[in-house]
Amino acid sequence: MSEVSRETKLNAAFVKLADTLTADFDVVDLLHTLVQECVDLLDTQAGGLMLSDASGKLQLMASTSERADFVEIMQLNAGAGPCVDCFTTGKPVSVADIDDSDQWPEFRGAALEQGFHSVHSTPMRLRGNVIGTMNLFSTSLGELNRADADVAQALADVATIGILQERVIRESSIVTEQLQRALDSRILIEQAKGVLSQTANLDMDEAFTVLRTYARSNQLSLRSVAEGVIDRSLDVFSGQLTGRPRRA
Amino acid sequence: MVGKSARAGVVRPAGQERRPTGDDLCSPFVEFLPVTGVSISVVGETGRQSTICASDPVAARVEELQFDLGEGPHWTAMQTGQPTLVEDVSAGEHPEWPVFGEALLEIGVGALFAFPLPMGAVTIGVVDLYRTTPGPLSVGSVATARSLAGWVAGPAVRYAIQSASAEIPSEMQMAPELRREVHQATGMVLVQLETNATDAFFRLRAHAYSSGQTLQDVAHQVVTRRLDFRDLRE
Repeated sequence: MSEVSRETKLNAAFVKLADTLTADFDVVDLLHTLVQECVDLLDTQAGGLMLSDASGKLQLMASTSERADFVEIMQLNAGAGPCVDCFTTGKPVSVADIDDSDQWPEFRGAALEQGFHSVHSTPMRLRGNVIGTMNLFSTSLGELNRADADVAQALADVATIGILQERVIRESSIVTEQLQRALDSRILIEQAKGVLSQTANLDMDEAFTVLRTYARSNQLSLRSVAEGVIDRSLDVFSGQLTGRPRRA
Repeated sequence: MVGKSARAGVVRPAGQERRPTGDDLCSPFVEFLPVTGVSISVVGETGRQSTICASDPVAARVEELQFDLGEGPHWTAMQTGQPTLVEDVSAGEHPEWPVFGEALLEIGVGALFAFPLPMGAVTIGVVDLYRTTPGPLSVGSVATARSLAGWVAGPAVRYAIQSASAEIPSEMQMAPELRREVHQATGMVLVQLETNATDAFFRLRAHAYSSGQTLQDVAHQVVTRRLDFRDLRE
């Protein structure tokens, strides 16, 4: 990629991220945009983003694929993998050859099986707070070069600031409502995927696509669409309100 | 309880393995909200409520009374999934909980605030906050309480499941909220049984309990369409 087109694409990525940071932005949407932009921009093939929950466990918030095998890689990564190291130290972790990563045998096995040979983990951090990590996977060997790693960090920083919003970071480092809401949104989305899967006989990946497509084409947040699907007040297939909201 | 050094609700430079204790889950509420005490309870595997922490004897009694009497703001929050705020226990009648209202005054409770513990669309339990003096919670405090309630919901259910099981579960079993299939299965079961998310989740748990399987195993069977709850109905 030439320098000019690279810079243009980079600017476009920042604009796209900034655009999602509206007054009532949807954190899950923001994180999906972040991961997708980074994968596209940095010549990697897949990405997943984890945020920490109340007990310091990493939860998968967004990924370029909702397929079970990729989700599994991320979950193994959250147990013992570059993701955890990055989160614990608050520093980027680059694995040039996953085959050499003997310290994480389960993660290594799952990643290699899916054809991934290198991975770069970028911390989501603001001042002393590390709230999660973004992981970019490549099917080729080698570390992400310094410039690309900086781009990943810069984009992650924009998203982190958006999530944490400076004013709500207290000295206590109590987690913000925004972050909590994001983790809960992810659970709602899984529950809504289940509803759609059962209703229309879809697999979970298809169910997510239906949710996301409906949210985008109607300019609704993923969270509000998921809520409507779960309490059955929204029929995403007919696009009609069913007029029979039930408390879920 | 051990492990008081760390606290739920706090971003820690983590990744390290530790189990949250009930006390860990209670302390942020007292620390960050203008309340006297707090108790947290979740619905256990058998469908009964169990208290996982209480910051003082009065908080424990508030919970106990509501369980014994089957009435009170705790139950309203559980059923509606919305906060139930009683600014002044002594003011006016409480037709929904006449006996409990009397008992509260006797143990010196001036105000009572119940917040549901959400796990997506599922309400898995309730945080009961009390104060000796009457008066409202500010909008900011309500927001903080909701945020804290959401934050402890995952660890709370994990804690309750761990306590219920004598054996040391594997990492996967320890963290059901990590497992997407549990949430996906909740969505599928709520369609199968034409019910709501909370009920669907408790049906999943009850089936796991009665059949001696883990929640993850049952959820996996539902998601892979090897188990349909319509076939389980009597």
